[in-house]
Amino acid sequence: MNFTAEAIKTRKKKDTKLVGVDVYIITEEGIPQFKEFGPFKCEFISNRGTKVWPGYVSPDLLMVNWYRCRFMATKDIQDADVTTFLEQFGQKWWWSAVQKLWTYDGEAGYSKAY
Amino acid sequence: MAKHIITMIPGEGTGPEICEAVRMVIDASGVDIKWEYEDIGLDCLDKHGTLLPDKTIQSIAKNKVALKGPTTTPVGTGHKSANVTLRKVFDLYANVRPAKLIPVVKRPWDHIDILNFRENTEDCYAAIEHMVSDEVAQCLKVITWPGSYRIADFAFQWAKTHGRKKVFCVHKANIMKMTDGLFMDAFKEAAKKYPDIETGDVIVDNCCMQLVRNPAQFDCLVLPNLYGDILTDLCAGLVGGLGFAPGANVGDNCAIFEAVHGSAPKYAGLKKVNPSAVLISGIMMLRWLKEEQAANLIEKSMFAVLDEKKHVTYDVGGTAKTDEYAQAIVDKMGVMAGK
Repeated sequence: MNFTAEAIKTRKKKDTKLVGVDVYIITEEGIPQFKEFGPFKCEFISNRGTKVWPGYVSPDLLMVNWYRCRFMATKDIQDADVTTFLEQFGQKWWWSAVQKLWTYDGEAGYSKAY
Repeated sequence: MAKHIITMIPGEGTGPEICEAVRMVIDASGVDIKWEYEDIGLDCLDKHGTLLPDKTIQSIAKNKVALKGPTTTPVGTGHKSANVTLRKVFDLYANVRPAKLIPVVKRPWDHIDILNFRENTEDCYAAIEHMVSDEVAQCLKVITWPGSYRIADFAFQWAKTHGRKKVFCVHKANIMKMTDGLFMDAFKEAAKKYPDIETGDVIVDNCCMQLVRNPAQFDCLVLPNLYGDILTDLCAGLVGGLGFAPGANVGDNCAIFEAVHGSAPKYAGLKKVNPSAVLISGIMMLRWLKEEQAANLIEKSMFAVLDEKKHVTYDVGGTAKTDEYAQAIVDKMGVMAGK
């Protein structure tokens, strides 16, 4: 049996919808604060996977200079909106990577922060 | 005012009955403790709309020490782990999991006394996961220099103050050269501060094989989060199972003591399960609080009850209920203390 071919047959296509972006930034200035960027609004910021905004932050928490910033769309968006967002965002913040956030058949394809 | 105020989090499933048994034993030791009971887990979702209520967070933040029963985490889907949330919120970066033979529990080895130091906040537990296409999932493995250095430094310091001789780093840096390589580099840097302690490293798969063939060769192990999670269960199996596997989650200003095992919901309310893992976690807690005399009394009494085999739980060949086993330990403590 060709198991690779069998595996490929089981693929299931899903309805994909762009709903936001995770932007990873490097900064030495502590927990960043953001304005809204067009249709993108910051939902949370995490450091080493621990949510540091909004909510309680242990005064002992070890933070490094690398933050994940989740921006969710406040209206329907397209890929071009992400490009515009990054142009504006990059003028102030030094970002290292971006991950688009999609829903698949309506289910979130991204984890929440602890 | 009590000498110690400790947050007690009974948890879910068999947690409440285990914690009651453990409290009975610790209270009988005579240590002056006021227990503050707080909630965690699925029940809190209905009551408070969150797995980890603010009241619980505030109690731990105030008291700095907690004893916690097990909680339930669904596999694959559903809510986040309450345990991981707790460790993250308080930055409890050192998960200390001893694996030491209990003298009377049936096992294939004559000597095992391993101290595992599991980094508790990073690695694949950073909760950074994405479906990057409709058929590809990705999890970021986050390893940082300061996070790696401090767990190694913590382990060396613990080893030094507890008379341990060897500290080894467990990794897979031959494959994950950046992440595990960074973890090992930080370990080696921290090791320079402790020239009197023998150090080395071992690849995680080889470490597993060595542990089941010759566990006596290991003393202290320092591991990234995921390997630590897996290897400490392996070590628990070597010393009698999860019923005897304690743990401490330690940060710079706070510590939460809990068993390695889960909540065993199918046994909830039956008073059947062995509370020893939480009790040994409680003994670790008493030593953390510098209540060495009470810790030793409980430990010796527990060993004696296990040795007699008259009042032990089903997993070690007995028929005693959870609270009957605890009462037997309390009775033995009375005899040993000359009461």
